[in-house]
Amino acid sequence: MKRYANAILSLAILSVAFVARPLCAGEPQPVKAKASAIQVEMIRSDEIKLPAEFQISLYENLVRQLEKQGGFEHVYRDGDRRAKDAPDLVILHSTVRGFKEGSERTRRVTTVAGATSITIHCEFKNPDGKVVLEQDVNGKVRFFGGNLRATYDFAKKTARMAHDNFNSSEHKS
Amino acid sequence: MKRRKFLVSFAMAAALAGFATCGANAQQSSKPDNKAIALTGLPGVKDDAKGKVTVENGKLHFVYGKKSSDISVASIEDVVTGEDSQAAVGKTVSNLSMVAPYGSGRFLALFRTKFDTLTLRYRDENGALHGVIFALSTAGAEPIKKELLAQGAHTTVGEAQAAAAAPANAPSKEPKQ
Repeated sequence: MKRYANAILSLAILSVAFVARPLCAGEPQPVKAKASAIQVEMIRSDEIKLPAEFQISLYENLVRQLEKQGGFEHVYRDGDRRAKDAPDLVILHSTVRGFKEGSERTRRVTTVAGATSITIHCEFKNPDGKVVLEQDVNGKVRFFGGNLRATYDFAKKTARMAHDNFNSSEHKS
Repeated sequence: MKRRKFLVSFAMAAALAGFATCGANAQQSSKPDNKAIALTGLPGVKDDAKGKVTVENGKLHFVYGKKSSDISVASIEDVVTGEDSQAAVGKTVSNLSMVAPYGSGRFLALFRTKFDTLTLRYRDENGALHGVIFALSTAGAEPIKKELLAQGAHTTVGEAQAAAAAPANAPSKEPKQ
């Protein structure tokens, strides 16, 4: 009896493995553009007025998150002269498209209202100015944390997007 | 009689001591409080580090614990206080989160302390742009901004306000026909 049970169990495991394998193989792997370095331009907010502290917080968080999880060998800041010599450079231009400043106090008291939300259009360009990738990224803080936490959320999402779409020569995933 | 004299002289001495203490406290409170929290961006300093900000000899010093971090005032391209942002945008980040245990933060959030912000932009020796945000006590950013501007820092606030005011003023200068 025990033998039958073992045989059925092993058969089930094998069949699951056979079924799962083609499913995994069928997932299209995203083609990553080659970029070993990125230069982050200062966040632009020409149309939408953004408090200075939000603009700086967005920029600093973006640089930090790209250094942490962007997968680039070098992350250069706006105006860094060393970026000119960097091979496979992409330049990140970010423009604020939407901003709704909520209230931390309201969030903490009600938990459903007072969310801060920021929408930024991100363009990754090569040094010739050709757009390699562009996407709107949204940063939010809904429940806990100060309003500036929305900038951290945006930075994390953008760094993940960069990681998923670019591949440096050393960093192969 | 002697006892009464003693009591009167004791009361006068106590009153004088009280006045002297009040005077000393008043002098102390008139000094600017430079306590600050480096919210983000200061090189070599962890976010939310508590310390003191001073401007001396063409440098902005942030001292926290036994360490310190300096920024050359001449490299500062823009200095903006929370009040400047409020004038330009209407709202600012003015409440400091209070970290409290056992879920009491929600209740304590009602009694959070207000603070002022000081936002700086500067370039390092490679021309790379950095941004720093300090949180200071209410109205604590303006004196530091003035000191920075006096020692060679720049600000875009006046330019932006002038640009905003220019179209409004322009028609009034035209001669009426």
